Amino acid sequence: MGSQMTNAGCQCWPVDGTIESPGAILYNTFVENTDWADVAASVRGDDEAYGRLVQRYEKPITGLLWRFTRDPTQCEELVQQVFVEAYFSLKTYRGDAPLLHWLRKIATRTGYRFWREKAKEPQETSLSEFDVLEEIEAAEEDRIDPAEAAMVLQSLLSRLPPDDRLVLTLMYFEECGTQEVAERMGWTRAKVKTQALRARRKMKEIAEREHLLERLGWTL
Amino acid sequence: MDALEGLAKLARRAREESTPVFGVSEAVRLRILSERTETVTLIPLGLFGGLSALAASVIMVLAIQFWNYMTSPVMELVAPLPEIRLW
Repeated sequence: MGSQMTNAGCQCWPVDGTIESPGAILYNTFVENTDWADVAASVRGDDEAYGRLVQRYEKPITGLLWRFTRDPTQCEELVQQVFVEAYFSLKTYRGDAPLLHWLRKIATRTGYRFWREKAKEPQETSLSEFDVLEEIEAAEEDRIDPAEAAMVLQSLLSRLPPDDRLVLTLMYFEECGTQEVAERMGWTRAKVKTQALRARRKMKEIAEREHLLERLGWTL
Repeated sequence: MDALEGLAKLARRAREESTPVFGVSEAVRLRILSERTETVTLIPLGLFGGLSALAASVIMVLAIQFWNYMTSPVMELVAPLPEIRLW
């Protein structure tokens, strides 16, 4: 078996070696050795192995879901949902992309479902969302607290419909391109492009209506 | 600077936010265990439901045949009636 490693930082499977997985799945170099061992053990019912996977990827998944809700209780619930759903879908994980990409896809869809369910509920306008904008003080970019910047941006995004909100959330917070958004959601790239264009236009209108730049002191 | 540039600038800063970590591995393990148990209890229930449906279908087929058998002699008795002059 050749030992060509693709990433010096992580121990990866050889590029030319495809090894049969527990679910008769072939995987390739994208999946880290440690991940694959834990995935295989989890499929066989080893809870400790799955616990290790959860611990390894909890932080990035929480970071992503934090963009869907800033309520710690709801966010924690969503993180749990993602890992439970991932556990029961592990057999379908083909290993053609890193595990984190696969988990991010599940997390994005879970967050999107959460927004859609929330959108169906009778809307109680959360005044706190508007207060955030009221409380902004003019500041230089590097002097704004990142948490405050995130709160302001999320409060503005929350005024968009779920589809628009999702596209811009992934673009602003995760720096995703249209291709990646499309892959995560199973949408076409053309749909994402149109959605992004429309969402940006709406966001611009909202930001102008709220005098965002004046409030931030960024008019110069 | 226009509004979109402002939003991009805001996003750059927002990306630096440190997000909380909840430590969900234990909760996830418990939820998996409980869902696995639910699945296990659902299997015999589903099996029982399937068998009941099968039995009901057999009974229904037999009942229809029996009904046809029951009604046919009656129909033979009743059918000529309209042709009979009663007075």
